Amino acid sequence: MANDRLDRWLERRARKLARGTSRRSFLARLGTIAVGAAGLPLLPVLRASAGERAPAPDEVALAGRPEGDPKRCEYWRHCAIDGFLCACCGGSQNTCPPGTEMSSITWIGTCKNPADGKDYIISYNDCCGQSICGRCNCQRTEREKPVYITPKNNDALWCFGTKSRAVQCSVAVVLGVATES
Amino acid sequence: MSATVLAAALLAAAPAEPSHTPAVDYALHCQGCHLVDGRATPGSVPALSGTVARLARTPGGREYMARVPGVAQAPLGDAELAALLNWVVQRFGPVADFAPYGADEVGRLRAQPLVDVAAARRALLGGDAH
Repeated sequence: MANDRLDRWLERRARKLARGTSRRSFLARLGTIAVGAAGLPLLPVLRASAGERAPAPDEVALAGRPEGDPKRCEYWRHCAIDGFLCACCGGSQNTCPPGTEMSSITWIGTCKNPADGKDYIISYNDCCGQSICGRCNCQRTEREKPVYITPKNNDALWCFGTKSRAVQCSVAVVLGVATES
Repeated sequence: MSATVLAAALLAAAPAEPSHTPAVDYALHCQGCHLVDGRATPGSVPALSGTVARLARTPGGREYMARVPGVAQAPLGDAELAALLNWVVQRFGPVADFAPYGADEVGRLRAQPLVDVAAARRALLGGDAH
């Protein structure tokens, strides 16, 4: 009899626990803990980069797609880059190295991403304020125009509106998809 | 097959540059200097934001906007350029009662280059125009 009572008591407790905690709510709490734990070590890095520029839409536009190696001239975003890759100079494909200022004035073209076959709008910004980097020099010219069509030319130094005209390296920022009409 | 027909067939077969939406054309042909929000870069590039509305309401401003070098020389057809200009006027105006540019009008205006852009701008907007 004592065992029966114990069984019934345990059964009531188990059913109450099951009613009060769904698997979904358990997974949601587990997810919150996991995401929070993953985010904590990143916070100082995010704060450091947030001061330099507004977040580029690269991560949004290309989320989850294979990107390739941004330290190579053949990297898809570099289809019309002329200069030293910031990814080899202490920055990345879309951020300037510390101590340099990204020129807001730039030249803009398109590159096809082999991962999805779409043409993306690429902004080739120079990072200004330090002497030239000297590593990963690339010269690609897809849809680039001669110097007499200045807005589409990549031979020019694009450090306009910056404190210094000295160029260190170049980035290739994805602005979005070149939607056709 | 005559030479004319052959030439027409070859032209039709040639891969054309893709036609983009006005917002994409702005990014590709204007944003490099005028930035995404049309603000000025002092000493280098004049503002679109605010200025476009003033020009749209100023006699001669409509013509000026279609004749400035960046517009007149953009690698776009007249119809695409008119659509881009209309988008710019509303994006950086907006100007509610603005009669949209037509392709023929833009074609006619872009064929008349501005020899002295700064002087034309000062005449329309006054001495502080930049």
